[in-house]
Amino acid sequence: MNKFEQSLGYLHIVSWLNEYDRTPFSFQRKSWEKINAGYSGMVVAPTGFGKTYSVFLGILIDFMNHPDSYKKGLKAVWITPIRSLAKDLARAMQEVVDQIGLDWVVEVRNGDTDVKIKQRQSKQMPDILLLTPESWHLLLAQKGRDKFFTNLKAVVIDEWHELLSSKRGVMVELAIAYLKCQQPKLMIWGITATIGNLDEAMHVLIPYSGNKVKIVAKEKKLIEIVSVFPPEVEVLPWAGHLGGKLVEQVVPIILESKSTIVFTNTRSQSEYWYQILLDAYPDFAGQLALHHGSIDIHIRTWIEEALSEGRLKAVVSTSSLDLGVDFKPVDTVVQIGSSKGVARFIQRAGRSGHSPFEVSKIYFVPTHSLELIEVSALKEAVKTGLIEDREPIVLCYDVLVQFLVTIALGGGFVKEEMYEIVKSSFSFQWITAEEWDWCISFITIGGKIGKNYEEFHKVVKNEEGYYVVEKRRIGMLHRMNIGVIVSDAMVKVKFLGGGYVGMVEEYFITKLKQGDKFILAGRVLELIRMKEMTAYVRASQGKAITPSWLGGRLPLSSNLGALLRKKLADAKKPSTREAELKFLHPLVNSQEDKSHIPSENEFLVELIKTREGYHLFMYPFEGRLVHEVMSSLMAYRISQLYPISFSMAMNDYGFELFSDKEIVLNDEQLRHILRKEDLMKDVTASINAAEMAKRKFRDIAVIGGYVIQNIYGKQQNNKSLQASSGIIFQVLEEHEPNNLLLRQAYTEVFNQQLEEPRLMRAFERINSSAIIYKFADSFTPLSFPIKVDSLRQSLSSEDLGARIQRMQEQSNRLNRKRR
Amino acid sequence: MIIHEQEITWATHKLILTNKKAIYWPAQRTLILSDVHLGKAAHFRRNGIPIPSKIHQKDLDILEILLNHYTVYKVIVVGDLIHANANGEVLDFKNFLYKFQTIEFVLIKGNHDRIADRKILDLGFRSVCDELHIEGITFVHEPDKSAKFQISGHIHPGVTVKLPTNKYFRLPAYVVSEDMIILPAFSQFTGLDTKQVFEKAVNYAVLDTGIIVVK
Repeated sequence: MNKFEQSLGYLHIVSWLNEYDRTPFSFQRKSWEKINAGYSGMVVAPTGFGKTYSVFLGILIDFMNHPDSYKKGLKAVWITPIRSLAKDLARAMQEVVDQIGLDWVVEVRNGDTDVKIKQRQSKQMPDILLLTPESWHLLLAQKGRDKFFTNLKAVVIDEWHELLSSKRGVMVELAIAYLKCQQPKLMIWGITATIGNLDEAMHVLIPYSGNKVKIVAKEKKLIEIVSVFPPEVEVLPWAGHLGGKLVEQVVPIILESKSTIVFTNTRSQSEYWYQILLDAYPDFAGQLALHHGSIDIHIRTWIEEALSEGRLKAVVSTSSLDLGVDFKPVDTVVQIGSSKGVARFIQRAGRSGHSPFEVSKIYFVPTHSLELIEVSALKEAVKTGLIEDREPIVLCYDVLVQFLVTIALGGGFVKEEMYEIVKSSFSFQWITAEEWDWCISFITIGGKIGKNYEEFHKVVKNEEGYYVVEKRRIGMLHRMNIGVIVSDAMVKVKFLGGGYVGMVEEYFITKLKQGDKFILAGRVLELIRMKEMTAYVRASQGKAITPSWLGGRLPLSSNLGALLRKKLADAKKPSTREAELKFLHPLVNSQEDKSHIPSENEFLVELIKTREGYHLFMYPFEGRLVHEVMSSLMAYRISQLYPISFSMAMNDYGFELFSDKEIVLNDEQLRHILRKEDLMKDVTASINAAEMAKRKFRDIAVIGGYVIQNIYGKQQNNKSLQASSGIIFQVLEEHEPNNLLLRQAYTEVFNQQLEEPRLMRAFERINSSAIIYKFADSFTPLSFPIKVDSLRQSLSSEDLGARIQRMQEQSNRLNRKRR
Repeated sequence: MIIHEQEITWATHKLILTNKKAIYWPAQRTLILSDVHLGKAAHFRRNGIPIPSKIHQKDLDILEILLNHYTVYKVIVVGDLIHANANGEVLDFKNFLYKFQTIEFVLIKGNHDRIADRKILDLGFRSVCDELHIEGITFVHEPDKSAKFQISGHIHPGVTVKLPTNKYFRLPAYVVSEDMIILPAFSQFTGLDTKQVFEKAVNYAVLDTGIIVVK
């Protein structure tokens, strides 16, 4: 027994645990010891194994062992990515504190917290405060914020993997950098599930020198994956239509389980499944709920509570239930369609069988037969622990300028000192002095072309040399806009007689006419009228449209893509244990007969001639986003050979170029268009980067403070300050092309939209593969799902004016649409 | 800069719609425009939103080109001349008007024009009113569907054109029906309303390279 294990705090905690017949896991013991020694670090453990305790109890032990080093006031801030998690965590922590017999107070502070409690907290902070990244920044924007943190000992970031590769992660990095500068001894602890790049994840969170340690739990969560097989294999698999047929097989799964979560990938899919489950088994009424981001928050909270109390048989949900509190009664998870990534699949599986050593059981329901290959791929990924990386985001100036105003608002900063703080964070380690100057001039004089920004007021340098916000109104506008989550304009849906149903995107509802029926929250609703940002409806029956929510299409991760290629090749000779591959054998045979099944070191290209015209299919298995870029690039390169225009379609497996003109392409030309040389040059020429950047700028404009976000539920009284990000984008393109926020929009296009590194790797791979070029006169099993996918695009090199003019000439094709 | 024109006969009068979002009425030597939103960029800047003032200068440059291109005796602004309050950009306009003292500038008050009439006259406007009637045509700020021969602004009309490739573009437009004309907003720094549909109306969408008719 070492010295730590004889310490008062340790013995006290262990004896408390023993009262409940529990003993600490070794990773918990190790993290307690390290916290006791003043280390920073990161704990990696599967859910359900007491990750929270590994850090929280560590802090309590450290306090009991070194009571003198803990002063009055806030001792630790605990950051969670979602509010609902905070409430439960605080309750659990307070219970532990009380049982151990400490007088600490654990409290939550976020958007749901009562104003009175917030005021009291500002006067007297609790000992542990649970925050979201947003409420943390709001606290930093408060006058006199430094006194809140004078005795802070530790910062804990829970579910760090969820924040890491988002702008919210950058918010966390900046806040840590700021507090670390005030409290050089501050301990920083991250808690994360397994991801591919753990070392990087820790370095992003703790780029500081000093003792730090990564603690990985040896305990593993066992996952059992069960495929739901359709009655027979379809040789030409439709995209998406199969799902509904399998409902008869899903009903018994739900009936045999205590409580089930049915995960879908989009909100419309969840509405659909809710309906068909009820139709297939009407007795589910009252025991089946629907949970997604557009459903009223109160209803969602009720569902979550009912689920944890075991009052619901099943919940159909989207990623809205991926995270959050543990639902103990849930013993089964059903995944409808591709989960698009290994990490998400494991996360979802882990929502069932929550306690340690229980097996998480997940059923996979394919939406088309080919998706069964994915099950086989996922099984292998789970077995070998091949999980995606989460790439950190660097140099997002929008978050930085917002943060600078936040700090200016809460008491100000000194320019030189702040530069060092910002540079100490992972995200901004590469910021140049010039860029820093731009950021400062952006918040003080509005940008680099000073004279053009007369009358600009935001941050000013006061007599003591501090950069501060002086005007109250600006402070108020800024507080309203803190955060990096930018949402679409949403419309409230209410019954005529009162009663709130949920929200839908404005874009969807404005397409509807009076009397049109649509489905929301599992109900058929008839639109009566629109008034301001509210749609009034009445309950109805019969056929209705399901809103298609934007942004529901997640791309396939590159890990899963690689595994899919491998499994597809394996499918030619499936081993007896791979039931999914065996099941698919007829389909695979048909593909092999008509065309070819590519091996891992082959790249398949199909040229198919039908009555409609000519279809060129390629199968990189790199996900929809990459295929979007690749298809534009292929179209562009072919059109360099001879004049031709294409329309494009794609899914996660491959893409199609279609033309009514003959696509003439010999082996040599094919190799030429697939070359890796001049890749980015041709990509840039083939896409409309400005249009893509404009879309990216939407979020940047809100985060950077160009657009005042409509706060949902609050009276909008800033009408005279409304301008759309599109207009501002155009203004900046024309008048201030070197604006860093504008440049950031283009960078985001290249890094996130075009996925430059992944695209390069894909071309490297294709160039080192054998290219198999096949001809057919009808669709093959691989090509068919792409063919029927509706998302079509096309490439044209003419500019807008010319295109519209051409359309005018063929005026019957000019199709005007109100939306 | 080339001004593209589209001539229409409306309420028995010959009118020229320009792609610069102003109408020229040759018989009356009158230029009609709407929703200038002077001082909007400066108002944003005052509230901490950094919009370059070049955008405001560009609007004035276009107006100047129009005034020099046509023979103009009178300019009617059908509302929303001033976005919020009298800031530096609004005062710029005084210097601008000083160059065109022979032209009669008339403002039909819009919902944004909340500053005192006195201040507008002080800029160099000849008169300020809520409504104006010339040769059977009524000029007001907010369109009224029941009116006869009315020219208005206010809603910043626009259209969405869909290219065969499922791409959408939004363009400012004149809405012209038998009884009314709604002008697009003159200022570049304004949004578009592409949602309102007017029955039996023709939209003239403006582009840098011309005017297109969208029915």
